[in-house]
Amino acid sequence: MTSHVDEGSQAVWQQLFSDSQTLSALMPEFVMLMGIIALIVVPNLGKAMIRLPLTKIRIPWFFGGQRFKTTSDPRIPAIISIATLLIATILALASLMGNATRWILYSGESTEMIVLLKVDGFARVFEILFFGALMLAAVATVSRMPASKPSKNLSVKALINNRRQVDFHILLLMSGLGMAIVALAQDLFMLFLGLELASLAIYVLVAFHKESKAGTEGGVKYFIVGATASAIGLYGMSLLYIWHGNLQISSHVFSADSGVIVIQGLDRAFENADSLAYIALGMMLVGFGFKVSAVPFHFAAPDAYSGASSPIAGVLATASKAMGFIGLMRVLLLISLPEGDGSAAWLICLATLSVITMTWGNLAALGSDNPKRMLAYSSVAHAGYMMAALTAVGAWRWGHISAPEEAATWVVTAIMFHLVVLVTFKLGAFLVLALLELDGGASRSGSLSGLARRDPVIAASMFIFMMALAGVPPLAGFMSKFMLIAGIVNVAAGDAGSLMSSGGITAFWDLHWVWWLALAVFINSAISLFYYLRIGVIMFFEEAESDRRKPLPRAWFLRLAIWSCALGTFAFGVAGDHLIILCNNAAESFFALS
Amino acid sequence: MSENSSKKAIFEREFSIVATLVVGAGALLLSFPLFFEEAVGEIDWITIPMVAFPILASIILLALASQQPRGMKENMAFPVKAASLGFSLFILAISSALFFGWLGSIDWTTLKINEYNMNHEYTWINSLGISWHVGLDGLSFPMLWLTTLIIPITMITTWEENSGWYHHPLLLLMEGALIGVFVALDLFMFYVFWELTLIPMFFLILKWGGKDRRYAAQKFFLYTFTASVIMLLGIVTLYFLQDPSQYLIDRGVLTGRTFSMIDMTNNAQMAANDGSVWLGESMQNALFLMLMLGFLVKLPAVPFHTWLPDAHVQAPTSGSMVLAGVMLKMGAYGMFRLPLTLFPHALAEYQYLLLAIGMISLVYGSIVCLGQTNLKRMVAYSSVSHMGIVILGIASMQPLGFAGAIFMMFAHGIISPMLFSVCGSFKHHYHTLEIGSTRGLAKASPFLGGYMMFSWMASLGLPLLAGFVAEITVLVAVWMTFGWWVLLPALVLVITAGYYLWSMQRTIFEGSGDVVLPEGMAAEDARDLSPWENIGNLLMALLIVLFGVLPWIIWDMMSAYANAHFYFNMGGLLNLVAGGA
Repeated sequence: MTSHVDEGSQAVWQQLFSDSQTLSALMPEFVMLMGIIALIVVPNLGKAMIRLPLTKIRIPWFFGGQRFKTTSDPRIPAIISIATLLIATILALASLMGNATRWILYSGESTEMIVLLKVDGFARVFEILFFGALMLAAVATVSRMPASKPSKNLSVKALINNRRQVDFHILLLMSGLGMAIVALAQDLFMLFLGLELASLAIYVLVAFHKESKAGTEGGVKYFIVGATASAIGLYGMSLLYIWHGNLQISSHVFSADSGVIVIQGLDRAFENADSLAYIALGMMLVGFGFKVSAVPFHFAAPDAYSGASSPIAGVLATASKAMGFIGLMRVLLLISLPEGDGSAAWLICLATLSVITMTWGNLAALGSDNPKRMLAYSSVAHAGYMMAALTAVGAWRWGHISAPEEAATWVVTAIMFHLVVLVTFKLGAFLVLALLELDGGASRSGSLSGLARRDPVIAASMFIFMMALAGVPPLAGFMSKFMLIAGIVNVAAGDAGSLMSSGGITAFWDLHWVWWLALAVFINSAISLFYYLRIGVIMFFEEAESDRRKPLPRAWFLRLAIWSCALGTFAFGVAGDHLIILCNNAAESFFALS
Repeated sequence: MSENSSKKAIFEREFSIVATLVVGAGALLLSFPLFFEEAVGEIDWITIPMVAFPILASIILLALASQQPRGMKENMAFPVKAASLGFSLFILAISSALFFGWLGSIDWTTLKINEYNMNHEYTWINSLGISWHVGLDGLSFPMLWLTTLIIPITMITTWEENSGWYHHPLLLLMEGALIGVFVALDLFMFYVFWELTLIPMFFLILKWGGKDRRYAAQKFFLYTFTASVIMLLGIVTLYFLQDPSQYLIDRGVLTGRTFSMIDMTNNAQMAANDGSVWLGESMQNALFLMLMLGFLVKLPAVPFHTWLPDAHVQAPTSGSMVLAGVMLKMGAYGMFRLPLTLFPHALAEYQYLLLAIGMISLVYGSIVCLGQTNLKRMVAYSSVSHMGIVILGIASMQPLGFAGAIFMMFAHGIISPMLFSVCGSFKHHYHTLEIGSTRGLAKASPFLGGYMMFSWMASLGLPLLAGFVAEITVLVAVWMTFGWWVLLPALVLVITAGYYLWSMQRTIFEGSGDVVLPEGMAAEDARDLSPWENIGNLLMALLIVLFGVLPWIIWDMMSAYANAHFYFNMGGLLNLVAGGA
């Protein structure tokens, strides 16, 4: 695919503003920036006046002073951030429907030109996922504030509340911006920048409840382990840079005024890889493995999840994990998948890791009494399921498979679908815990007891989320797990169907061994059912604790978020057709080589 | 004064809810014939309301009742119960109309293999080739009718149990899911409904069960879920073993394959007619075993049966009745519909394995029955033993055996709910399930004693009752195939008679004219069946007699199915086996 570059050498910022199409392509990200600026500006507006020097004329200056009633409302930051995320989601959706692909180029002083960002269906679907997840978290936080408006004479408490809320939402939007950049990035370094922007914001968000020990501890642990993993990943990238000369993910050919520009990217570079490249690959896997909380890089995750407030834990389990999977997919499926007849170099390593990850996650979740830790381990297990599907693609070149691209596209579709619907039921489950936190804590399974009597609708929603996580039809979790399995079996079966119908004998043992990964996923879902069911049993069976018999607080925003999650869990399960097609188109754009 | 006004408010509220329900149900009943008239002559779509109405009704009732303030919910129990019974009777009316030909002439006995009445297809999730594909034949229709029959009978029998506001909606949800399983001709849809049945049953056991209900409910869910995910893996593998068709890809199916059972059956049949083995031998065997595992656990057959006694003993009467009456039949139904139809060669290969499983289930089930002191546990093991007869019928690989197995499913489907219903009444009135703790039941509660004796007689296979027809046909089929091996199951039937007669002697009679009540029970507390229980049991007893005396009412379609199935599908296969050998 060639595209035309009008003026070969331009700084990236010049390019952005000289070209209205580029500007409109990046509109969601600009909206996020505007939102951050608005969050900084709006809560500071007040009755400040400035006196013109040497005169007595005072003109309103608005920054500082006694703040207006609206701007000091603790709900204002949340409203701004929800509005920002909503607009960004709508813009991303509109651009996805418009189906425009756009490269954002950068060219330095040298003749070397690189592609920084690419706006395509793949990036847009993930942006919608990120913004949607963050929006749900932002909606959930509204109810976590004191319900009453501050009085006329502002109390110190209200002031602090407002300031803290601003910090919280700025960090939230920043992490959203970073995630969006990860989705768009076409250069590993750019991807790393986005990853770090998002991660640093999330480290602070995890530790945001600084008054509690658990929050601080979880945040610090998460930060130290995360920073180490990032450093290792960055080192791997630098080695890759030494080996290859640039960090472009795919190759591009552009026709410019000065002739044809060819960018030789890393895609399929591993066909003639040497040990340096493999070391680099391994190090990058550590970096991304931490983000998706794969075993053995998951140890900080349970502490971080249980220390963070529930909506943030939900973001960690959905959006942050999706970010890691973008990295994994780019590295494993675009860079290190060989073109030749063999299977990928990482096939056995990743297959082992994925099986260990899902098993470890499930076994650890079996033994945890804290619902948040349980969900953290279940999130580890889900990472294992998705990694198993990714692994299967590594076998796509074995033997005779007539349309390997299709098989790979199918797996990417499944992973994207899983990540999108994970937002509905994983985040939903965390939001239910958030509602319980308002009521006095959700760190013991006992806090869920008697929920069915206290609030049948919330209990039913929680049960729906649990069943979806376990993969019980007709919920979205079943559909997504089904698609992951289908992806694995598709690769394993290969062209068996055509062979059989054409008379060629294909026996059961001719299936590729990745078929057994599907069995591992299924056995693990059966194990996982045990602890998901336990939550249901506790909610519907056990009596509520003696001090927690009253109805749950009426946090309408939070309830709204929970209901929409439950509705989504159900709707994507029985009518996920459009989403599947959307993800499939996105997956095709992921593999579309320029 | 204030108390009066609050009472009035409650009354008004209750009245408005009942009125809403009545108006809603009325609107539904009115709109249905209109819908019907519009499509007169074509009743293909008839199974859609049969699946959708109970599920929708259950969701609406649950939503309505759960939103009532505290204290009101208990008052909701009665309207919800009445509405649920009304809905289930409505569904029974539709299915009976199909059975007796009130909705135009429907021929159940001339269907060839892979031919279905009410065959209807809508696109559901097109990108994966999933469709809402339904159809009924001589195998699925009796099961469907049985489901619609057992649910209202269950509701009637347990009418007086004070079970709160969400017991009956769960039964309705169960009904919709079960009907969905029996009408599905799309593997994905089949699996979705298959798993959906677990959720209401889990809650029925968990909320209204006995002392160890928590353990039993979880064990039930885990066992059957584990088995069915392995089955799902088989289904997915089967899906990807099909050749992608360009026609489907052009229609927007991303994978180019469908989950249609009809297509798969066609392929299997064509291969059998060619004298070749569809998908190859080792693949067929592997898929056969994967699918069979799911169904054998559900059935349950002996190595996988341990969830059943726990679930049954702990389940409430209504749960046990539906579980034994219909849910177990899902396993046998699935076997006929999938592995036996698609992989006849593997069936021939594993014929002796099935024979062994069937024999062991039968023998082990009855011997364990002999040692039971708990009435419900004994009845549960007798279910295992009777399901062994179904497997024997399959293993015989005779059309007669197949038909007998299907008839066994149906007969056991009306006998076992009655067994559990009398156990439930016994527990309800005498607060115990121990055999021998009560003596002279026939004197203390003559109706209860009478129904108990009748149901046990039906279960042990007394001639002129439904169970006998099934047993005798299966035994004849086993004799046709395995010769004198038939003596083993035949002798086991004697054990069956033994444990029933022994328990009968210890519970219903004996006591030298005096009634012995359980410890701590006053003589005046020994009540007999309530009118509702009487009605429910009478209905079941009449059905058992009806199908024992006039089995051809439903036997014809089963026999037609078995014959068509055998000659058109396995006939070719048997030629292949004979020719090859």
